[in-house]
Amino acid sequence: MNTVLWIVFYPFIAFFIGIMYMGYSRKFNARVERRYGPSWIQPFYDIVKLMTKRTNISHGWMHDISLLMLLGGTLATLMFIPVPGFSYFAGYGDMLVIMYLILVPSLGMALGVGETANPNGSIGISRALMMLAGYDVPFVLSFIGMGMLNHTTSMFDLIQIQQSNGIASWGIVTNPLLGLAALFALQGMLGEKPFEVYVAPHEIATGPMSEMGGKFLGIMFITHAITIFLELTIFINLFLGGAFTWIGLIVKQLIVFTLVLSVNIVFGRYRVDDAMRFMWKIPGSLALLGIILIIFQQLRS
Amino acid sequence: MKKQITQRNAWDKVLAKLTKRSLWMLHYCTGCGAIELPPTMTARFDMERFGVLPMVTPRQADLLLITGYLSIKTLKRIILSYEQMQSPKWVVAFGSCTINGGMYWNSYATIKRLDMYLPVEIYIAGCMPRPEAIIESFTKLIQRIDEGKANSWKDYYTNYDFYRKNQERVFGKIETYNDIKADGEKFDIQQP
Repeated sequence: MNTVLWIVFYPFIAFFIGIMYMGYSRKFNARVERRYGPSWIQPFYDIVKLMTKRTNISHGWMHDISLLMLLGGTLATLMFIPVPGFSYFAGYGDMLVIMYLILVPSLGMALGVGETANPNGSIGISRALMMLAGYDVPFVLSFIGMGMLNHTTSMFDLIQIQQSNGIASWGIVTNPLLGLAALFALQGMLGEKPFEVYVAPHEIATGPMSEMGGKFLGIMFITHAITIFLELTIFINLFLGGAFTWIGLIVKQLIVFTLVLSVNIVFGRYRVDDAMRFMWKIPGSLALLGIILIIFQQLRS
Repeated sequence: MKKQITQRNAWDKVLAKLTKRSLWMLHYCTGCGAIELPPTMTARFDMERFGVLPMVTPRQADLLLITGYLSIKTLKRIILSYEQMQSPKWVVAFGSCTINGGMYWNSYATIKRLDMYLPVEIYIAGCMPRPEAIIESFTKLIQRIDEGKANSWKDYYTNYDFYRKNQERVFGKIETYNDIKADGEKFDIQQP
């Protein structure tokens, strides 16, 4: 019974926490620019407005279905992420499942944006998939590295191993190179500034979102809120020892997210090829080095 | 604008309270008034306090700012952009050029009264209005949305023949990509 309640309410909890982070990010950016900034729940107002638009333009059924694929893929990934109090599915599917499921939202978005036939949208989605190929390399390598280090591919076991010995057993301490690579990948996954190539409002008119209005854009905003929660939680579960309570989880997420936002506010945008090259060169080689270190450690012992 | 009697239920009032806090404007500026917008957006006047945010495509936008004079060539693009926006949507007209032609009264290439071609919600007088005046117009619009009076966008659906006639008088036959009357029926926007 408890599990059923969690399955029903977990997406809502993730959404509300994610939307707070969206508001936090806008307030943070405003404060750095010495503005007063919008209210903390501004994204909530935006979503209400978008969902209550009177007219909507649909570009065919693929356009409608793809957004459900976007939201559904994100929710499916969310279910496999263990959080304090809920790890029902995390026992069945491990990190490999998450690695595959996390690709589904981007593919869903690609289908729908292709249907709209907007050139800006097509450029945007091709950039998004290219960026995906960029940040997936350090991300997957750090997944594999953590698995090799702890002899498990279950995220639940990984959290338990990291919680066994306090901070000394956290992933970021036991193998800082993998943690650093994953932090770079997180910046790309959240679509923040140096790797914001596929939104790029001044260049390609917000890319995949350029033909979306009203309820379509509303669903994209909801998905983005859940994605922020999901990706921060993955990073924390892998490298910061998970969390015992929700308060602890939120504090850790806020620290990581503030770090990401601080990088976001001071950097400009990379070109697409530069972003790819950076992702494969620096975080990719960091992660490879981390894996080589792990292999040597295990050969010696 | 003629007085409108609208019946609103409690749900509409709650929605108006929430949606008035989020107005996205189309970042498409036509005349000299565009230079007043950067100070309005940035640190000194900061319009994001009111939830007004520049957006880059018409599909996402709620506000269309006509910043100053409109040449006939630009008007065509403005109409296309306006029809791509999703309702509810509002036009805010800047400066005297959009009211009566202003200093371009004798020009062969500009239009004189904007509300012959598009339903205008709010005019800001002046040449050019300062950022304070722009902020004032946003707060006025927010207040009107809250009271349920900001219904000028419905006029484009119900009174489309009038606007279309005026548009064709300037351009001759034009091709637009939206069937406004069919949209009005489909989404049930019938009475003004």
